[in-house]
Amino acid sequence: MKKIKKDGSTYLNPYLGGFMLGVVLLLTFYISGRGLGASGAVKNTVAAAVNTVAPQHVENNAYYCQFAGGDKKPLSNWLVYEVLGVLAGAFLSGILFNRLKLKVEHSPKITSRRRLLFALAGGLLFGFGTQMARGCTSGAALSGMAVLSFGGYITMIAIFGTAFVAAWVFRKNWI
Amino acid sequence: MIVPFALMIGLFMLFLDLKHKLWFWQLYTTVRYESPMSWGAWVLMAITPLSILWAASYIRELYPKWNWKFSILKKLEKWVIANRKLIAWPMGVLGVILGIYTGILLSAFNARPLWNTSILGPLFLVSGMSTGAASIMLMSKDHKERKIIGRIDILLIVIELFFIVHLLMGFLAGSEVQISAANLFLGGKFTAPFFAFVVILGLIFPAILEAMELKGFKVPVLIPAALILIGGLIFRFLMVEAGQITRYLY
Repeated sequence: MKKIKKDGSTYLNPYLGGFMLGVVLLLTFYISGRGLGASGAVKNTVAAAVNTVAPQHVENNAYYCQFAGGDKKPLSNWLVYEVLGVLAGAFLSGILFNRLKLKVEHSPKITSRRRLLFALAGGLLFGFGTQMARGCTSGAALSGMAVLSFGGYITMIAIFGTAFVAAWVFRKNWI
Repeated sequence: MIVPFALMIGLFMLFLDLKHKLWFWQLYTTVRYESPMSWGAWVLMAITPLSILWAASYIRELYPKWNWKFSILKKLEKWVIANRKLIAWPMGVLGVILGIYTGILLSAFNARPLWNTSILGPLFLVSGMSTGAASIMLMSKDHKERKIIGRIDILLIVIELFFIVHLLMGFLAGSEVQISAANLFLGGKFTAPFFAFVVILGLIFPAILEAMELKGFKVPVLIPAALILIGGLIFRFLMVEAGQITRYLY
Protein backbone atom coordinates (compact mmCIF):
# COMPACT_ATOMS: atom_id res chain seq x y z
CA MET A 1 0.00 0.00 0.00
CA LYS A 2 2.82 2.35 0.83
CA LYS A 3 5.49 3.38 -1.60
CA ILE A 4 8.76 4.09 0.17
CA LYS A 5 11.09 6.59 -1.44
CA LYS A 6 14.83 6.87 -1.00
CA ASP A 7 14.71 9.46 1.77
CA GLY A 8 12.40 7.33 3.92
CA SER A 9 9.29 9.26 2.97
CA THR A 10 6.22 7.35 1.90
CA TYR A 11 3.20 8.05 -0.26
CA LEU A 12 -0.29 6.70 -0.08
CA ASN A 13 -1.57 4.62 -2.95
CA PRO A 14 -3.13 7.21 -5.34
CA TYR A 15 -6.26 5.10 -5.91
CA LEU A 16 -6.80 4.78 -2.19
CA GLY A 17 -6.17 8.52 -1.87
CA GLY A 18 -8.79 9.25 -4.52
CA PHE A 19 -11.27 6.98 -2.82
CA MET A 20 -10.63 8.72 0.50
CA LEU A 21 -11.14 12.10 -1.14
CA GLY A 22 -14.51 10.87 -2.37
CA VAL A 23 -15.42 9.76 1.14
CA VAL A 24 -14.37 13.19 2.43
CA LEU A 25 -16.63 14.83 -0.13
CA LEU A 26 -19.53 12.61 0.88
CA LEU A 27 -18.94 13.36 4.56
CA THR A 28 -18.71 17.07 3.79
CA PHE A 29 -22.15 17.04 2.19
CA TYR A 30 -23.48 15.06 5.12
CA ILE A 31 -21.94 17.19 7.89
CA SER A 32 -21.92 20.70 6.52
CA GLY A 33 -24.67 20.49 3.92
CA ARG A 34 -22.27 22.05 1.43
CA GLY A 35 -19.57 20.82 -0.88
CA LEU A 36 -15.83 21.19 -0.63
CA GLY A 37 -14.08 24.33 -1.81
CA ALA A 38 -10.74 26.03 -1.75
CA SER A 39 -10.80 29.16 -3.88
CA GLY A 40 -13.82 30.43 -1.98
CA ALA A 41 -11.80 30.54 1.23
CA VAL A 42 -9.04 32.54 -0.46
CA LYS A 43 -11.60 34.83 -2.03
CA ASN A 44 -13.33 35.51 1.28
CA THR A 45 -10.05 36.04 3.08
CA VAL A 46 -8.98 38.54 0.44
CA ALA A 47 -12.34 40.29 0.66
CA ALA A 48 -12.06 40.45 4.47
CA ALA A 49 -8.52 41.82 4.26
CA VAL A 50 -9.51 44.48 1.72
CA ASN A 51 -12.53 45.36 3.84
CA THR A 52 -10.28 45.91 6.85
CA VAL A 53 -7.72 48.02 5.03
CA ALA A 54 -9.94 49.92 2.58
CA PRO A 55 -13.66 49.56 3.37
CA GLN A 56 -14.42 52.42 1.00
CA HIS A 57 -12.96 50.48 -1.89
CA VAL A 58 -15.10 47.44 -1.05
CA GLU A 59 -18.27 49.52 -1.15
CA ASN A 60 -17.46 50.93 -4.53
CA ASN A 61 -16.51 47.59 -5.98
CA ALA A 62 -19.33 45.42 -7.28
CA TYR A 63 -17.26 42.24 -6.97
CA TYR A 64 -16.21 42.71 -3.33
CA CYS A 65 -19.69 43.89 -2.41
CA GLN A 66 -20.99 40.36 -2.88
CA PHE A 67 -18.92 39.06 0.03
CA ALA A 68 -17.82 41.92 2.27
CA GLY A 69 -18.89 45.33 3.45
CA GLY A 70 -21.99 46.24 5.43
CA ASP A 71 -23.11 43.48 7.74
CA LYS A 72 -21.48 40.70 5.76
CA LYS A 73 -18.86 38.64 7.52
CA PRO A 74 -16.64 37.08 4.86
CA LEU A 75 -14.50 35.15 7.35
CA SER A 76 -17.49 33.56 9.00
CA ASN A 77 -17.78 31.04 6.23
CA TRP A 78 -17.60 27.28 6.18
CA LEU A 79 -14.92 27.28 3.46
CA VAL A 80 -12.52 29.39 5.54
CA TYR A 81 -12.74 26.91 8.40
CA GLU A 82 -12.53 23.99 6.01
CA VAL A 83 -9.28 25.26 4.55
CA LEU A 84 -7.83 25.66 8.05
CA GLY A 85 -8.74 22.02 8.59
CA VAL A 86 -7.10 21.10 5.30
CA LEU A 87 -3.88 22.77 6.46
CA ALA A 88 -4.01 20.92 9.77
CA GLY A 89 -4.78 17.62 8.04
CA ALA A 90 -2.00 18.09 5.49
CA PHE A 91 0.40 18.79 8.33
CA LEU A 92 -0.70 15.61 10.09
CA SER A 93 -0.28 13.57 6.91
CA GLY A 94 3.19 15.06 6.43
CA ILE A 95 4.14 13.84 9.89
CA LEU A 96 2.59 10.40 9.39
CA PHE A 97 4.35 9.81 6.08
CA ASN A 98 7.65 11.33 7.14
CA ARG A 99 7.54 14.09 4.57
CA LEU A 100 7.53 17.12 6.82
CA LYS A 101 10.33 19.23 5.42
CA LEU A 102 10.68 22.75 4.13
CA LYS A 103 11.64 22.28 0.52
CA VAL A 104 10.75 23.30 -3.00
CA GLU A 105 9.97 20.32 -5.17
CA HIS A 106 11.22 20.85 -8.70
CA SER A 107 12.91 19.10 -11.54
CA PRO A 108 16.71 18.94 -11.24
CA LYS A 109 16.89 20.83 -14.53
CA ILE A 110 15.43 24.06 -13.23
CA THR A 111 16.10 26.26 -10.22
CA SER A 112 13.85 26.66 -7.19
CA ARG A 113 13.35 30.28 -8.18
CA ARG A 114 12.04 29.34 -11.59
CA ARG A 115 9.74 26.75 -10.07
CA LEU A 116 8.35 29.24 -7.56
CA LEU A 117 7.84 31.92 -10.20
CA PHE A 118 5.98 29.51 -12.47
CA ALA A 119 3.92 28.27 -9.55
CA LEU A 120 3.01 31.84 -8.64
CA ALA A 121 2.09 32.71 -12.23
CA GLY A 122 0.04 29.52 -12.55
CA GLY A 123 -1.66 30.19 -9.24
CA LEU A 124 -2.58 33.73 -10.27
CA LEU A 125 -4.04 32.54 -13.57
CA PHE A 126 -5.91 29.75 -11.85
CA GLY A 127 -7.29 32.11 -9.21
CA PHE A 128 -8.49 34.46 -11.91
CA GLY A 129 -10.03 31.57 -13.81
CA THR A 130 -11.85 30.22 -10.78
CA GLN A 131 -13.55 33.57 -10.25
CA MET A 132 -14.70 33.64 -13.89
CA ALA A 133 -15.92 30.05 -13.63
CA ARG A 134 -17.39 30.50 -10.13
CA GLY A 135 -15.31 27.79 -8.55
CA CYS A 136 -12.14 25.76 -8.61
CA THR A 137 -11.35 22.07 -8.96
CA SER A 138 -12.89 21.23 -5.61
CA GLY A 139 -15.67 23.79 -5.45
CA ALA A 140 -16.98 23.60 -9.02
CA ALA A 141 -15.65 20.37 -10.51
CA LEU A 142 -15.61 17.89 -7.59
CA SER A 143 -18.58 19.16 -5.62
CA GLY A 144 -20.44 20.02 -8.82
CA MET A 145 -19.95 16.58 -10.35
CA ALA A 146 -20.96 14.94 -7.09
CA VAL A 147 -24.40 16.50 -7.42
CA LEU A 148 -24.46 15.71 -11.16
CA SER A 149 -24.30 19.35 -12.12
CA PHE A 150 -23.53 19.82 -15.80
CA GLY A 151 -21.29 22.81 -14.99
CA GLY A 152 -19.19 20.54 -12.82
CA TYR A 153 -18.42 18.23 -15.75
CA ILE A 154 -17.59 21.16 -18.02
CA THR A 155 -15.29 22.64 -15.37
CA MET A 156 -13.54 19.30 -14.94
CA ILE A 157 -13.02 18.89 -18.67
CA ALA A 158 -11.86 22.50 -19.05
CA ILE A 159 -9.42 22.38 -16.14
CA PHE A 160 -7.86 19.03 -16.98
CA GLY A 161 -8.04 19.55 -20.74
CA THR A 162 -6.24 22.88 -20.47
CA ALA A 163 -3.78 21.38 -18.01
CA PHE A 164 -2.98 18.61 -20.52
CA VAL A 165 -2.14 21.11 -23.23
CA ALA A 166 -0.32 23.50 -20.90
CA ALA A 167 1.72 20.65 -19.45
CA TRP A 168 2.98 19.78 -22.92
CA VAL A 169 3.94 23.42 -23.58
CA PHE A 170 5.81 23.73 -20.29
CA ARG A 171 7.14 20.16 -20.19
CA LYS A 172 10.75 21.35 -20.32
CA ASN A 173 10.29 22.55 -16.76
CA TRP A 174 9.89 18.98 -15.57
CA ILE A 175 11.49 16.53 -17.98
CA MET B 1 14.35 35.61 31.95
CA ILE B 2 11.17 36.60 30.16
CA VAL B 3 8.84 36.24 33.13
CA PRO B 4 9.70 39.46 35.00
CA PHE B 5 9.34 41.47 31.81
CA ALA B 6 6.08 39.76 30.88
CA LEU B 7 4.79 40.46 34.39
CA MET B 8 5.83 44.09 34.20
CA ILE B 9 4.29 44.61 30.76
CA GLY B 10 1.11 42.93 32.01
CA LEU B 11 1.06 45.10 35.11
CA PHE B 12 1.58 48.21 33.04
CA MET B 13 -1.32 47.18 30.78
CA LEU B 14 -3.49 46.68 33.87
CA PHE B 15 -2.45 50.12 35.02
CA LEU B 16 -3.38 51.65 31.66
CA ASP B 17 -6.74 49.97 31.94
CA LEU B 18 -7.53 51.74 35.21
CA LYS B 19 -9.84 54.68 35.16
CA HIS B 20 -8.23 56.51 38.07
CA LYS B 21 -4.62 55.76 37.31
CA LEU B 22 -3.14 57.89 40.03
CA TRP B 23 -5.13 56.09 42.69
CA PHE B 24 -3.77 52.64 41.92
CA TRP B 25 -1.69 52.69 45.10
CA GLN B 26 -4.90 52.63 47.13
CA LEU B 27 -5.15 48.93 46.25
CA TYR B 28 -2.23 48.53 48.57
CA THR B 29 -3.73 50.35 51.52
CA THR B 30 -6.11 47.53 52.28
CA VAL B 31 -6.23 43.76 52.41
CA ARG B 32 -9.58 42.24 51.64
CA TYR B 33 -9.80 38.46 51.68
CA GLU B 34 -13.16 38.47 49.97
CA SER B 35 -11.96 40.52 46.98
CA PRO B 36 -10.20 38.73 44.12
CA MET B 37 -8.89 42.10 42.98
CA SER B 38 -7.14 42.59 46.31
CA TRP B 39 -5.69 39.08 46.10
CA GLY B 40 -4.41 39.73 42.61
CA ALA B 41 -2.89 43.08 43.50
CA TRP B 42 -1.06 41.69 46.52
CA VAL B 43 0.10 38.53 44.79
CA LEU B 44 1.47 40.58 41.92
CA MET B 45 3.18 42.81 44.43
CA ALA B 46 4.91 39.78 45.94
CA ILE B 47 5.63 37.69 42.87
CA THR B 48 7.12 40.41 40.69
CA PRO B 49 10.18 41.13 42.89
CA LEU B 50 10.59 37.39 43.55
CA SER B 51 10.64 36.64 39.83
CA ILE B 52 13.11 39.46 39.25
CA LEU B 53 15.37 37.97 41.94
CA TRP B 54 15.00 34.54 40.40
CA ALA B 55 15.81 35.68 36.89
CA ALA B 56 18.68 37.86 38.08
CA SER B 57 20.30 34.91 39.81
CA TYR B 58 20.60 33.22 36.41
CA ILE B 59 22.03 36.18 34.52
CA ARG B 60 25.63 35.18 35.16
CA GLU B 61 24.93 31.68 33.92
CA LEU B 62 23.76 33.15 30.61
CA TYR B 63 26.31 35.95 30.38
CA PRO B 64 29.45 34.83 32.24
CA LYS B 65 31.03 38.25 31.82
CA TRP B 66 28.23 40.00 33.68
CA ASN B 67 29.40 42.04 36.67
CA TRP B 68 27.02 43.06 39.45
CA LYS B 69 29.37 45.96 40.37
CA PHE B 70 28.15 46.46 43.96
CA SER B 71 29.21 44.03 46.64
CA ILE B 72 25.77 44.01 48.19
CA LEU B 73 24.28 42.77 44.91
CA LYS B 74 26.94 40.09 44.70
CA LYS B 75 26.08 38.98 48.22
CA LEU B 76 22.40 38.95 47.37
CA GLU B 77 23.04 36.85 44.29
CA LYS B 78 25.01 34.36 46.34
CA TRP B 79 22.22 34.12 48.87
CA VAL B 80 19.57 33.64 46.18
CA ILE B 81 21.56 30.91 44.46
CA ALA B 82 22.04 29.14 47.78
CA ASN B 83 18.36 29.43 48.68
CA ARG B 84 16.66 28.84 45.35
CA LYS B 85 14.33 26.22 46.78
CA LEU B 86 13.22 28.64 49.43
CA ILE B 87 12.21 31.11 46.72
CA ALA B 88 10.77 28.53 44.35
CA TRP B 89 8.11 27.37 46.83
CA PRO B 90 6.41 30.71 47.46
CA MET B 91 6.79 31.52 43.77
CA GLY B 92 4.99 28.30 42.85
CA VAL B 93 2.16 28.93 45.31
CA LEU B 94 1.85 32.58 44.30
CA GLY B 95 1.95 31.55 40.64
CA VAL B 96 -1.06 29.30 41.17
CA ILE B 97 -2.95 32.11 42.91
CA LEU B 98 -1.98 34.50 40.15
CA GLY B 99 -3.15 32.05 37.49
CA ILE B 100 -6.46 31.39 39.17
CA TYR B 101 -7.32 34.89 40.32
CA THR B 102 -8.24 36.27 36.89
CA GLY B 103 -10.83 33.54 36.49
CA ILE B 104 -12.15 34.07 40.00
CA LEU B 105 -12.21 37.81 39.40
CA LEU B 106 -14.42 37.28 36.37
CA SER B 107 -16.56 34.73 38.17
CA ALA B 108 -17.21 37.31 40.89
CA PHE B 109 -19.22 39.34 38.38
CA ASN B 110 -22.54 37.90 39.38
CA ALA B 111 -24.39 39.98 36.79
CA ARG B 112 -22.62 38.14 33.97
CA PRO B 113 -24.00 34.59 33.76
CA LEU B 114 -21.20 33.33 31.52
CA TRP B 115 -18.55 34.36 34.03
CA ASN B 116 -20.52 33.65 37.14
CA THR B 117 -19.36 30.07 37.55
CA SER B 118 -16.84 28.66 39.98
CA ILE B 119 -15.23 26.54 37.28
CA LEU B 120 -13.85 29.60 35.51
CA GLY B 121 -10.97 29.98 38.00
CA PRO B 122 -9.59 26.46 37.60
CA LEU B 123 -10.24 26.64 33.86
CA PHE B 124 -8.19 29.81 33.50
CA LEU B 125 -5.49 28.33 35.71
CA VAL B 126 -5.19 25.16 33.63
CA SER B 127 -5.28 27.12 30.39
CA GLY B 128 -2.57 29.42 31.76
CA MET B 129 -0.45 26.43 32.82
CA SER B 130 -0.89 24.82 29.44
CA THR B 131 0.17 27.95 27.57
CA GLY B 132 3.05 28.30 30.02
CA ALA B 133 4.14 24.74 29.25
CA ALA B 134 3.88 25.59 25.56
CA SER B 135 6.19 28.56 25.94
CA ILE B 136 8.69 26.41 27.84
CA MET B 137 8.61 23.88 25.00
CA LEU B 138 9.12 26.70 22.55
CA MET B 139 12.20 28.01 24.30
CA SER B 140 13.75 24.87 25.72
CA LYS B 141 16.79 23.52 23.96
CA ASP B 142 16.86 20.35 25.99
CA HIS B 143 15.10 17.50 24.22
CA LYS B 144 14.43 15.63 27.44
CA GLU B 145 12.90 18.68 29.09
CA ARG B 146 10.68 19.25 26.07
CA LYS B 147 9.46 15.69 26.22
CA ILE B 148 8.54 15.89 29.90
CA ILE B 149 6.81 19.24 29.47
CA GLY B 150 5.00 17.90 26.39
CA ARG B 151 3.71 14.99 28.44
CA ILE B 152 2.53 17.33 31.19
CA ASP B 153 0.94 19.55 28.59
CA ILE B 154 -1.15 16.71 27.16
CA LEU B 155 -2.49 16.08 30.64
CA LEU B 156 -3.24 19.78 31.10
CA ILE B 157 -5.07 19.89 27.78
CA VAL B 158 -7.19 16.90 28.74
CA ILE B 159 -8.06 18.58 32.04
CA GLU B 160 -8.86 21.82 30.23
CA LEU B 161 -11.16 20.03 27.79
CA PHE B 162 -12.84 18.35 30.74
CA PHE B 163 -13.35 21.74 32.39
CA ILE B 164 -14.78 23.24 29.19
CA VAL B 165 -17.24 20.38 28.84
CA HIS B 166 -18.11 20.78 32.50
CA LEU B 167 -18.54 24.51 32.15
CA LEU B 168 -21.03 24.09 29.32
CA MET B 169 -22.79 21.20 31.07
CA GLY B 170 -23.09 23.28 34.22
CA PHE B 171 -24.63 26.14 32.28
CA LEU B 172 -27.07 23.87 30.49
CA ALA B 173 -28.23 22.52 33.83
CA GLY B 174 -28.74 26.03 35.12
CA SER B 175 -31.28 28.78 34.76
CA GLU B 176 -32.53 30.26 31.51
CA VAL B 177 -29.88 33.03 31.42
CA GLN B 178 -27.13 30.48 31.92
CA ILE B 179 -28.53 28.28 29.18
CA SER B 180 -28.54 31.23 26.82
CA ALA B 181 -24.95 32.00 27.88
CA ALA B 182 -23.91 28.45 26.97
CA ASN B 183 -25.82 28.71 23.72
CA LEU B 184 -23.47 31.48 22.60
CA PHE B 185 -20.95 28.66 22.23
CA LEU B 186 -23.38 25.92 21.25
CA GLY B 187 -24.88 27.22 18.05
CA GLY B 188 -24.67 30.94 18.75
CA LYS B 189 -22.38 33.68 17.61
CA PHE B 190 -19.16 32.32 19.10
CA THR B 191 -19.62 28.67 18.17
CA ALA B 192 -17.41 28.50 15.09
CA PRO B 193 -14.42 30.48 16.41
CA PHE B 194 -14.64 28.78 19.79
CA PHE B 195 -14.70 25.22 18.51
CA ALA B 196 -12.40 25.79 15.53
CA PHE B 197 -9.69 27.89 17.14
CA VAL B 198 -9.88 27.02 20.81
CA VAL B 199 -11.14 23.45 21.07
CA ILE B 200 -9.83 21.90 17.85
CA LEU B 201 -6.83 23.93 16.69
CA GLY B 202 -5.88 25.18 20.15
CA LEU B 203 -6.34 22.01 22.23
CA ILE B 204 -7.16 18.75 20.45
CA PHE B 205 -4.89 19.16 17.42
CA PRO B 206 -1.78 20.20 19.39
CA ALA B 207 -2.47 17.39 21.87
CA ILE B 208 -2.52 14.92 18.95
CA LEU B 209 0.75 16.39 17.64
CA GLU B 210 2.37 16.15 21.06
CA ALA B 211 1.16 12.58 21.46
CA MET B 212 2.58 11.74 18.04
CA GLU B 213 5.90 13.23 19.04
CA LEU B 214 5.97 11.03 22.11
CA LYS B 215 5.25 8.07 19.84
CA GLY B 216 8.41 8.85 17.92
CA PHE B 217 7.17 10.87 14.95
CA LYS B 218 9.16 13.97 14.09
CA VAL B 219 7.05 17.03 14.88
CA PRO B 220 8.54 20.53 14.85
CA VAL B 221 7.87 21.80 18.36
CA LEU B 222 6.98 25.26 17.10
CA ILE B 223 3.64 24.16 15.64
CA PRO B 224 1.88 22.62 18.67
CA ALA B 225 3.35 25.25 20.99
CA ALA B 226 2.29 28.15 18.79
CA LEU B 227 -1.18 26.65 18.33
CA ILE B 228 -1.62 26.28 22.09
CA LEU B 229 -0.48 29.85 22.69
CA ILE B 230 -2.77 31.28 20.02
CA GLY B 231 -5.65 29.08 21.18
CA GLY B 232 -5.17 30.20 24.78
CA LEU B 233 -5.18 33.84 23.74
CA ILE B 234 -8.31 33.43 21.59
CA PHE B 235 -9.98 31.56 24.44
CA ARG B 236 -9.48 34.52 26.78
CA PHE B 237 -10.63 37.00 24.16
CA LEU B 238 -13.78 34.97 23.49
CA MET B 239 -14.58 34.46 27.17
CA VAL B 240 -14.17 38.15 27.97
CA GLU B 241 -16.05 39.22 24.85
CA ALA B 242 -18.89 36.72 25.21
CA GLY B 243 -19.20 37.32 28.94
CA GLN B 244 -20.05 40.96 28.37
CA ILE B 245 -22.94 39.97 26.13
CA THR B 246 -24.58 37.75 28.72
CA ARG B 247 -26.67 39.34 31.42
CA TYR B 248 -29.56 38.69 33.76
CA LEU B 249 -31.93 41.39 32.67
CA TYR B 250 -32.95 41.86 29.08
